[in-house]
Amino acid sequence: MALLEIDNVVAGYGGGPDILTGVSVTINEGTSYCIVGPNGAGKSTLLRTIAGFLSPRSGEVRLDGATMNRARPDQMLAAGVCFVPQDASLFPTMTVKENLVMGGYLINDRSLLRERLHTVFETFPALADRKSQNAGTLSGGEQQMVTLGRALMIEPRVVMIDEPSLGLAPMIADQIFEKIKGFKDLGITVVLVEQNAVKGLNAVEWGFVLDLGSLEFEGPADGILADHRIRELYLGKQLAPRESGP
Amino acid sequence: MALISAIALILLFPLIAYPIFDSYAYVLQIGLLILMWISMSSSWNIIGGFAGYISLGHGVFFAVGGYSAGLALAHWGISPFLFLPVAGLAAMAVGFVAGLITLRTRGPAFIVATIAMLFLFLLWFDNWEFIGASSGLDLPLFQFPIQFLKVPFYYAMALSAMGAVYLSYRVAHSKFGLGLRAISQDETKAEVAGINTRWYKVWAFALSAFFIGTAGAVYGYSLTHLRPLTFFAIAVAARMVLMAIIGGRGTVAGPVVGAILIIGVNEFAVRQFGQTELNIVFIGVILVVALLFFPEGIVGSLRKAGRLPAFLDWD
Amino acid sequence: MQWVQVLVLGLLLGSVYAMMASGLTLLFGVMRVVNLAHAAFLLVASYITYVLFENLALDPMVSLVVTMPLMFGLGVVLYLLLFPRLEDSPRYVEMTVLLTFGLALIVEGMLTFTFTGIFRSVRPEYASSSIRFGGLFMPTSQLYASVISFALLIGLWLVLRFSKTGTAIRATMQNRSAAQIVGVNVRRVSALAFGIGMALAGAAGSLLSFMFPFFPARHWQWIALLLALIVLGGMGSIKGAVIGALLLAVASSFVTVLAGPTWSPITFYLTLFLILLIRPQGLFGAKVRL
Repeated sequence: MALLEIDNVVAGYGGGPDILTGVSVTINEGTSYCIVGPNGAGKSTLLRTIAGFLSPRSGEVRLDGATMNRARPDQMLAAGVCFVPQDASLFPTMTVKENLVMGGYLINDRSLLRERLHTVFETFPALADRKSQNAGTLSGGEQQMVTLGRALMIEPRVVMIDEPSLGLAPMIADQIFEKIKGFKDLGITVVLVEQNAVKGLNAVEWGFVLDLGSLEFEGPADGILADHRIRELYLGKQLAPRESGP
Repeated sequence: MALISAIALILLFPLIAYPIFDSYAYVLQIGLLILMWISMSSSWNIIGGFAGYISLGHGVFFAVGGYSAGLALAHWGISPFLFLPVAGLAAMAVGFVAGLITLRTRGPAFIVATIAMLFLFLLWFDNWEFIGASSGLDLPLFQFPIQFLKVPFYYAMALSAMGAVYLSYRVAHSKFGLGLRAISQDETKAEVAGINTRWYKVWAFALSAFFIGTAGAVYGYSLTHLRPLTFFAIAVAARMVLMAIIGGRGTVAGPVVGAILIIGVNEFAVRQFGQTELNIVFIGVILVVALLFFPEGIVGSLRKAGRLPAFLDWD
Repeated sequence: MQWVQVLVLGLLLGSVYAMMASGLTLLFGVMRVVNLAHAAFLLVASYITYVLFENLALDPMVSLVVTMPLMFGLGVVLYLLLFPRLEDSPRYVEMTVLLTFGLALIVEGMLTFTFTGIFRSVRPEYASSSIRFGGLFMPTSQLYASVISFALLIGLWLVLRFSKTGTAIRATMQNRSAAQIVGVNVRRVSALAFGIGMALAGAAGSLLSFMFPFFPARHWQWIALLLALIVLGGMGSIKGAVIGALLLAVASSFVTVLAGPTWSPITFYLTLFLILLIRPQGLFGAKVRL
């Protein structure tokens, strides 16, 4: 059974138009994915719908076969689906350590919490150095690392990250993608949304191309990168000629 | 066409009503109240509906209009009927200055600032001996045959109401109005688009004061005794807001519909149940229900459902 | 010595204001609700205290045990009934203002209907006595109210700082969507925060019942004052509310001595306007806060 099934989902915000127009996507445990596509394709909306911030207007979101259409974000998190949005989702006046501890909000066992915190500091040594610093004063890359570290605190089954490289200098973005690739070794299923299709697809195994709210194409990530037709149709001018390659 | 018949109806009402109704003065008073609230609610709508800035302090303009006309009468013998435009201007001037200060804030802080404005003025008027402080100011009675006494007040208020609706209409159909709507949707984007949001808001605030001032002038005169609490009572702000919301905030016809409805229902309730405190419970309940279920108001909801009759579509 | 006296009186009163304002600003900080009905519910607690005192001779300070849980429950229920529906509305904050405005009208009308507009007050023995301490004299009622207010404020701080719910509340106040991301059930937290805010209003109602005479329409003066306080302190900042309350109470205490009691409330509003001119976000508010 697939881990997550998004079955012909239609969704939109408030009283507005449909952003997702019947998208069907299957996420299998242990694989890493990247969703790419032009602006306004509904990539972020898809993640938000899975995470429970938006309810589908029709269609189903299933986790381990069970329908989760009406699940709240905290319920999805408890089920192991962790969402890292693209805007600043840190607590700005809390320290790095406090932010990470908040990541473990659902954990009631204090010793387990301490253990996990320790693991996160090992995975992100740069954060350990800054543990008492206010999160609001960190650089873009460091903040992103805090959000990733925070996601790890509950040892999620799936981590969905919306635009991990947004606003980051290319070298820093590369570091972030290295860390994300490392999630796979921890047994975490990764689903990325990336505007920078090359960096995104290079970091994962499988790619989804979304356009106008539904799935246009899916396949192995390097295959998508190599396919000029897809690149032209959907990934357009964002790709500079010399940027490909792992 | 509908417009002409509406205006004709309003103007001819006192003549038509005389032979029909026994309690002529009462009927005229109701008409007067409806016109007054049309004037006030439509004006409030300019800042509260079009621009989306909720002010609970508009009672200040009501008071400024009432007192300025009253003082002109008491000290210089100028009839409030002639003084109307000046009362409106006085209110507008106060609105302009107050707007410069209060509109430095946004959203909830703005609402609080307008409440503070209301209380500041209330405290000032309550303690100002020149205008009679809290015991108030007596005005000479208007010399007119007693059974037709209300008629001139009715017409003066009709003038105010028509002015207010006309102003509302012109604002709605102007670039200024478009800018206000942009501000109410997303102020940051409006700024970025080049709209001078500060001036737009301040002018909207000032304009919204004019016909509230004129209404205050007429109303105060009709009472012949001015007291601060009459004008500054929260029920005044509550009614203005409620009528605009029930009718349809941000539309031109909305406040008119709201005023007619609320005054009508209120009078009905008073005749059935007497003038009790349950009156404001009633207003409160209607407000809560409207907000939860019909936030667009009558005109707004009808428009959304595509069923707005032409005679109500003034936008 | 005289000025110390005035200062102390200001602080005593200010601590009660601080407690009231904290509840109100908490509501805004957590759920972006501007609760115009806060003082109306405060009066409900005052009337309950009055009834308990008149019929059961229950000391108003003891009736906190009744009014606080009652108001807490009422708060939770009211929140869940009314506010989630507004959540998707594009102009959420305004809607809460109007909604609570309606609630205030309803509460006032019902109180007037039940109790009429007669001035009421609760007069336990200590209401008319005062305590001498050093060279200072303090009205006993104000002293007791102040002590209890401080205790409640400290209690609030402890809950927010150290309890799991308190942490969730603080997280929601800082960044609602981030709180959701880490698994906070923001709806439940909002309801609880509303309950806490109302419980504080309930406590204030019981305390104020023996400090000032009250009648149903009085709540408008209180809410105007409280709102001015939280705007001054910065909406959503509890620290700001407390400091703002103490500052303004002390300031108006001095103004009363220097210029007479009518100038005291005027001081509040004039100060507010002054602050708005210079620093629209208040003392501790965030810059562009909607």
